[in-house]
Amino acid sequence: MSRHHRRKQRLKLSSFYVWHRYMGVSAAVFVLIVAVTGLLLNHTEDFQFDSDHIKSDWVLDWYGIRAPDSMQSFLAGDRHLTLMGEHLYLNRREIEGSYRQLLGAVLFNDTFIVAMSHTVLLLTPRGEIIEQLQDKDGVPASIEQIGIDADGAVIVRTSHDYYQPDADFIHWKKADKDFTRVRWATPSLLEPRLKNALQRHYRGEVLPVERVILDLHSGRFFGRLGPWLFDAAAVLLILLSLSGGWIWLKRRR
Amino acid sequence: MPALACTALLAETVYQQPDDFLNETFSGKAPEPAVIWLSGERKEFARQLLGHRYPSLRVRYWRRNQRSAWVLEEIGKDLPITIGLVINDGLLEQIKVLVFRESRGWEIRHPFFTDQFRGARLDEDNALDRGIDGISGATLSVRAMGKMATLALFLDAELRKQDVAPSP
Repeated sequence: MSRHHRRKQRLKLSSFYVWHRYMGVSAAVFVLIVAVTGLLLNHTEDFQFDSDHIKSDWVLDWYGIRAPDSMQSFLAGDRHLTLMGEHLYLNRREIEGSYRQLLGAVLFNDTFIVAMSHTVLLLTPRGEIIEQLQDKDGVPASIEQIGIDADGAVIVRTSHDYYQPDADFIHWKKADKDFTRVRWATPSLLEPRLKNALQRHYRGEVLPVERVILDLHSGRFFGRLGPWLFDAAAVLLILLSLSGGWIWLKRRR
Repeated sequence: MPALACTALLAETVYQQPDDFLNETFSGKAPEPAVIWLSGERKEFARQLLGHRYPSLRVRYWRRNQRSAWVLEEIGKDLPITIGLVINDGLLEQIKVLVFRESRGWEIRHPFFTDQFRGARLDEDNALDRGIDGISGATLSVRAMGKMATLALFLDAELRKQDVAPSP
């Protein structure tokens, strides 16, 4: 092999090496993101990423997560029972579980009785669930209103009849009374401070940390072009490994 | 901006309605329900057993003589599994999956698995008196069923304690 040919080969190798370096630097950022998020995803349960939620306003804004502006609220005693999305709150305290169609709430014997269309929830003043009563527990179907009758007992109005539970809320029977004297629960307005606090809390309970890590890992966090960007980075990595192997082989010769 | 996709598929499989389970257990004449409160030591026992609070402060049961039936719920991985249990004189007579909502682990409903619980009781440490063989891929459902068996046996024992409590 002539000296000229060897020089040409060295130049070729050197320019390939420069390309290899540029590819490495370009892919480094993506490799870091993918490697770190990959490590975190392997331990989502250990770090509770599946149950912890993002509270950061800018991330929530970036995801377009907003608290519903409209919410149903009822005043029972001196506390507000409020349904926002599927989250139920006793004043500021969130009640475990997800709920729909809040129809009313009353205070009875130090217990909050919360009516939803097919469910009646019994709550302690601390917001602990005593029992969630459903159709199978004898709760009348299609409840429309809940109230307290003239004798101070709980009564519900369904689309067809009126029903009352026994003292332990185990049995329900049709009521036959003077319904004009029932104080039915009526929706109430939330004071702005409580409303803001609930909206902030609601936003902070929607987006699991795991979702954001997954989106960072796949590139979706960076918008519609994100996955393409990460695809390009993957191609760069493939080229990097091939060029690295080629340079190594050439240098050995 | 990424889209927040809701991928939760609520695939609920009802193997037996709780009412049908109770009627079958008591030959068509289920007794009136009663409630036991999870307060004090009971609440603490349930919390330690489950690793979290039981979702309600009182639990319904149906009882005739020394035989009691329970319909309990516990989350396997993400969603609650509804389990029916029958206890006769402190021994687990039957355990059955009534409603299954998880995407995997449904194999726990088969008799080859549930038969292991037949005749189980609580030992002096309030744990099941036997080991239960697991099922590959259904670890969390197996665990949930074991916890519900233990909780039902514990609550039944609490009822029987009340039976023999001296009157004031």
